[in-house]
Amino acid sequence: MGHSDCDETMGRLSLYLDRELSEEEVGEVMIHLHSCPPCEQVFDFQAELKRLVRKECCTDDAPARLRAWVRKLAVEKTEPAR
Amino acid sequence: MILLGIAMDGDFSLFERHIDALYRSALRLTRKPEDAEDLVQETYLRAYRYRSKFQPGTNEKAWLFTIMTNLFRNRLRQRPAPEDPLDEPGTDFFIYDQLRRDGMPVHLMSPEEIVVDRGFGDEVKRALEELPMAMRMVVMLVDVEDFSYKEAAAILGVKIGTVMSRLHRGRRALQKRLWEYSGRPRPSVAVGGQA
Repeated sequence: MGHSDCDETMGRLSLYLDRELSEEEVGEVMIHLHSCPPCEQVFDFQAELKRLVRKECCTDDAPARLRAWVRKLAVEKTEPAR
Repeated sequence: MILLGIAMDGDFSLFERHIDALYRSALRLTRKPEDAEDLVQETYLRAYRYRSKFQPGTNEKAWLFTIMTNLFRNRLRQRPAPEDPLDEPGTDFFIYDQLRRDGMPVHLMSPEEIVVDRGFGDEVKRALEELPMAMRMVVMLVDVEDFSYKEAAAILGVKIGTVMSRLHRGRRALQKRLWEYSGRPRPSVAVGGQA
């Protein structure tokens, strides 16, 4: 694997993790990663980091009070108009 | 319009389904539970007021987030919040680079071990809340709420290229903060190749 393959793959790291690449491009990235442990290591680390950010930031649920308020609003607003 | 009654019944669960996502995002934006609750209430009031503009079958989560981010930006314009200097050039993998630089066995370490298992608990949220607002919104929409670049661009009313550059800078800044929280020293040398 040439160095330029590594550069090209690294340039696609975010797009790959964010699922913004075409199927064909994903295939190219995967082929490179299979044959290049150093690049694969960076990808795995960044993928894990993205999962971590998501997991850690999804722990606050709406308070029950707010939920009840929204439900009440929905009922009021969806009553048929007279 | 014949199906109005049915569509409205549908709205109820359709909009309410996203209350947790809206609330946690409002928290990241406002940083205060009271303000977050207030922002979510206002978002729902507006959603119902302009319900006729919502097209059933389109992405209602994106629609609700568009309303909320617009409301929030209007609020910010009235009461601007101070921003801090986390925004610096470099690569998208700040923490990884730092570990390599320190000679750490990166292949044996997970980000969770490095960032979370150090007794804090809320450092990822805190790091996100400390990002400058434009970056915070994009990282929140793409990394936490799983919107595509295109959806995030539509929600914020910016170009996709703007979303990408804010995401890149935002992630880097986020990692920089997490690195500091992990108790590791501030880097003395610029990482990422740029002088």
